[in-house]
Amino acid sequence: MRKKWNAGKILDTAITYVILLAVAFVFFFPCLWLILASFSKSGSIYSFDGFFPAQYSTASFVKLFTDTTMYNYPKWFMNTLLIAAGSCALGTFLTILTAYTMSRFSFRMRKPMMKTTMVLGMFPSFMGMTVVYLLMTQFGLINHLGGLILIYASGAPMGYLTQKGFFDTIPRSIDEAAKIDGATNFQIFTKINLPLSKPIIVYTALTSFTWPWSDFILPKLLLKEKNLYTVAVGLMSLDETEFARFAAGSVFIAVPIVILYFCLVKNMVNGIAEGAVKG
Amino acid sequence: MKRKSIALCMAVCLCAGIFTGCGKDGESQETAQKMQNEQDKQEKEQPSVVSTVFNGELEHDVTIQVLENDTAVSKGYFAELIEAFNEEYAQYGIKAVDANMDQYLDLANDGPYGYGPDVLYQANDIIMQYAEGKHIYPLPAEKMECFEQIPEAAWAAYRIDLEGTAYTCGVPVNVQAPMLYYRKDLLPQDWENVWDENGNKIPDMAENWNAMYAYSVSRHAENSSQYGYMKSLFDVYFSSGFLFTYGGYIFGNNNTEPADIGFSAGEAEKGAWVLSQLASTMNEECIDDSITTNAYSKLADGTYFATITTPDMYSTFLEEMILAYEEEGLSKEEARAKAEENLVMTTLPALPESGDLTEEGASFLAAKSMGGINGYAVSAYTKHPNACLAFVEFATSYEMMVRRSELLGVAPARNDAADAVGGTSQLLYNNLEAGNIVLMPSIKEVSQIWTPGETFFIDLAKDAFRPEEEKKYTDLDAMKKGLEGVDQQIYDAIFTLK
Amino acid sequence: MKEKWSRFILAVRDSSWKVKLSAAVMGGGQFLYGSYGKGISYFLLEIVIIAYMALRGVKDIQGFFTLGTQKGDAWLGTVGDNSVIMLLMGIFAWIVLAAFLYLYQLNLKDAYHTQKIIENGKRPLSFREELAQLLDKKFYITVLILPVLGVCVFNVLPIVFMILIAFTNYGGDIVPPELVDWVGVANFEKLIALSQFAPTFFKILGWNLLWAVVSTVLNYFLGLGLALLLDKECVKGKAFWRAFPVLAYAIPGFITLLAFKFMFSYGGPINQIITAGGNTAIGFLDLDAKWMARGIGVLVNCWISVPSIMLLATGHLSNRDMSLYEAARIDGAGRWKQFQKLTMPFMLFATTPVLLSQFIGNFNNFGIFYFLRGGLYVDGYFLASDTDLLINWLYNLSIDNNYYCIGAAISLVIFMITSLISLIIYVKSPSYREEDTFQ
Repeated sequence: MRKKWNAGKILDTAITYVILLAVAFVFFFPCLWLILASFSKSGSIYSFDGFFPAQYSTASFVKLFTDTTMYNYPKWFMNTLLIAAGSCALGTFLTILTAYTMSRFSFRMRKPMMKTTMVLGMFPSFMGMTVVYLLMTQFGLINHLGGLILIYASGAPMGYLTQKGFFDTIPRSIDEAAKIDGATNFQIFTKINLPLSKPIIVYTALTSFTWPWSDFILPKLLLKEKNLYTVAVGLMSLDETEFARFAAGSVFIAVPIVILYFCLVKNMVNGIAEGAVKG
Repeated sequence: MKRKSIALCMAVCLCAGIFTGCGKDGESQETAQKMQNEQDKQEKEQPSVVSTVFNGELEHDVTIQVLENDTAVSKGYFAELIEAFNEEYAQYGIKAVDANMDQYLDLANDGPYGYGPDVLYQANDIIMQYAEGKHIYPLPAEKMECFEQIPEAAWAAYRIDLEGTAYTCGVPVNVQAPMLYYRKDLLPQDWENVWDENGNKIPDMAENWNAMYAYSVSRHAENSSQYGYMKSLFDVYFSSGFLFTYGGYIFGNNNTEPADIGFSAGEAEKGAWVLSQLASTMNEECIDDSITTNAYSKLADGTYFATITTPDMYSTFLEEMILAYEEEGLSKEEARAKAEENLVMTTLPALPESGDLTEEGASFLAAKSMGGINGYAVSAYTKHPNACLAFVEFATSYEMMVRRSELLGVAPARNDAADAVGGTSQLLYNNLEAGNIVLMPSIKEVSQIWTPGETFFIDLAKDAFRPEEEKKYTDLDAMKKGLEGVDQQIYDAIFTLK
Repeated sequence: MKEKWSRFILAVRDSSWKVKLSAAVMGGGQFLYGSYGKGISYFLLEIVIIAYMALRGVKDIQGFFTLGTQKGDAWLGTVGDNSVIMLLMGIFAWIVLAAFLYLYQLNLKDAYHTQKIIENGKRPLSFREELAQLLDKKFYITVLILPVLGVCVFNVLPIVFMILIAFTNYGGDIVPPELVDWVGVANFEKLIALSQFAPTFFKILGWNLLWAVVSTVLNYFLGLGLALLLDKECVKGKAFWRAFPVLAYAIPGFITLLAFKFMFSYGGPINQIITAGGNTAIGFLDLDAKWMARGIGVLVNCWISVPSIMLLATGHLSNRDMSLYEAARIDGAGRWKQFQKLTMPFMLFATTPVLLSQFIGNFNNFGIFYFLRGGLYVDGYFLASDTDLLINWLYNLSIDNNYYCIGAAISLVIFMITSLISLIIYVKSPSYREEDTFQ
């Protein structure tokens, strides 16, 4: 009996790992292709042997960071980093606060607000781009990185329903216990709920950091000077023959996001349900 | 709650109705007034717009932002131009700088809010669209030094008729049209005997498509991994020239009447037939954009013998070939010399009158092609029009035009510069004068020709690789029908919601 | 309604002259009742708003109706009216006006409230105490002000603008400096003319719905499945395994799409391998590849979206009440039963909004087929290809031509359909109705 169970467990583990390997392969292979392509010596994708380059060199990375007269990648990179960090900090802060409030407080406008935001998120957004451009010309925020941060950060709370769903699953009894101990709502939020919601904060931070990295339309619309470009816009402006540079630039975009992920990963899971006040 | 929102909706609708009402009422009066005002103004000022704006008094101590195209920047020509200009005009304190913006920037969008460059270099169709919206200034072309040197055909591309007065809104700089690129060293050893019927030392493949077709077939038959002429057919810019040669056109009335679409006009189907014959000598890569992007390296490694693209890509081809020769063990200088010797850029070969590429002793038609004339224009939102004009004058001077052509390999629009540079520039220039370059229409509706055109050419290319029983375009009639379908689609795209 | 009215009349009769002063000078009543701080704040607000109205508000509202009277001409140096900006500033002025009315009503209520407190012999809250409340009982006001403001300016304002645009003739040749005008419902009438293309519409709608459902379900369950798989005890080095999807997530979507388009192209690596093996190249995404292209679209979309769902699900899963699972195990429930009875309801509860926004996001996924297979009009479709979604069709028909007003009208119609459906689903969902199920 016991032996059989063990065998089942081993089989289960084996299958799990096989699936994991397959998943890792599916996700990693295209990335690997992009990474190796960026190390291609010829700088052209058409001199490959099947999937991968025939010869390797780091020339395209060197070129990416040193040859800046036409395509100033380091500058674009710093711009994007600035925008992403700014909108990540501000956006996460606003989103978490909004979600928490909508989950924990009851007030007259709450349900209408929930429905409204739900519906607003459905408007085909590219129609609104013209307006955002006009608005920014009126605010004098064209060619300002700050303008982008402002838009990303103010757009972020629109997605609060995701985070609200998370807060809805944190037991309210914890709050009530603290309230009895005389904590204000502000203290309950900062001292109790915030530490409990690390996973969702990590998720929010990651998404709001990644958005500016991959967004193309908004920066293209609002940043006219090449020195202010973000990486995405800059890469799209590359000449069609600059494939290796394009690949190198695209691969390098992923670096800060992956670093951020590894910094935050230990907070991705927490075990509140096992401890805390439950029961 | 629900009732409330319905009521709100109705209220909004009602209001909208009221707005329209009062909008119309006020409008008719206002428009009348406006028209009156404008007419008055026109009568007083219009003829002199050019001379009031460009009054000849140079603004002092100003900086003008100039938008050039990316190739000019990356090849270092633009830096040279700015430096020379700044040196010359330092005495007035005028300084030109790189606007550092996207080469395809839309002045109509950004200019009114003050974010465009002062001087811009773009294609004639784009510049003339700006001109329609008065986003760029009309220029005193007749007074410019380059006026006599630039052919009338080129100036015509920049002329616009607004409210009864003709204006010139840009200065032609260079002529863009598809060019044939091929490699001399991939010609057969004995080409001078076998492939040069008229004995003019130019291989027949570069002179007519029948020879190109024959050579493509034989080259591929010899070695199945090699091809002769290769080109992605979907690209309307390159493929439509084949239709034009046999009587097709884009829009009627000199490309100004969007309701008259002529991709199927005349015997355009013969052009489609030529394309489909050419496709049959290529491989499946001609269906999508693969060849467009890989032509540079595949011409360099000898897989392809020839392709067509615009003259400004010459330097890219050249560099790829130098790299390829260096791989073979040549030194840098040797490789460059050899590449320059072997890479040939010339005008398009002639097409057989019958459209049959296998016909013996065919009579030929000069190939027409879609093309454009890039040039400088002065933004109507600039604060220093005279300084801008000075810059345009300087940039279109003989010396700068020659230098531009040397560095970028483009064909100058100036007669004397074209003479000085010689070679293909001269040929291209002659083609322009002979009317073989069909200039891109400068009306907005042109944006609707691409997708229908692309779909047809993709279908045509794909047809060459379909099994015999599934082929769609088996005879000229089918091709004609296909082209008529293109016309209809373009018409629908433009007018359905107009 | 009637009752409300009579209550209002009663309050008007009942209110003291100090409250009535508030009706003329905001904050006057509060000031006289001794709430100086509040009184002054209301008064300053009134001044600011009146100043705005006098300086530009009134003009902006006028502009909202006329949309400009003087056409600009850059050649003559005349600075004309920019209709679009006028419309925008007009909307803004309306918003300020509405905010003012709301504040005004708040001010009256508050003055009356203060009067009642005083009449009952109590002391009204001091300004400081009211401010302190903002950190406690009314914490939500403090918190929500910034997000609401941001959302109003960058989300609501554009949407209102787009809706209004549907009633103008903006677009085509009529863009600034030309003057735009209100045209009523003319654009919607044109849409009715479009009904001759109903076959295309229904074909595209059918595919669009299929696409949205399949993509959403696939993305959601693959993401959830991946998160559950990584959550298993036997998996060592979770951070490492999770890093692969994150890597995919870290590469911007448009780059992924371009890379996949290249991979599946005739000159791409997959076809290179096929042709090197002596077979004929396959047109994965070309003209005739209807279902193959659709399938590739679904898979590529999975590749892009699954990682983010996995990250989200990982966070949510760690919030489960594990004691329930313990109990279930003791009761002899198998793994599938546990998933069905515990995990799924929990996840569905927490992520209904996500599912909905995923559905809408997929429904309106403009980028995927634009990048993978753009630039085709297929036979049997009116100016669309067989992989195009409604939003791509909308783009072909209107935006590509700069017919902004028509585009706005079509998006309004699409928007009404999608929002109605999802609103009904949302309002009926447990995560809206029973927010405290898991608390």
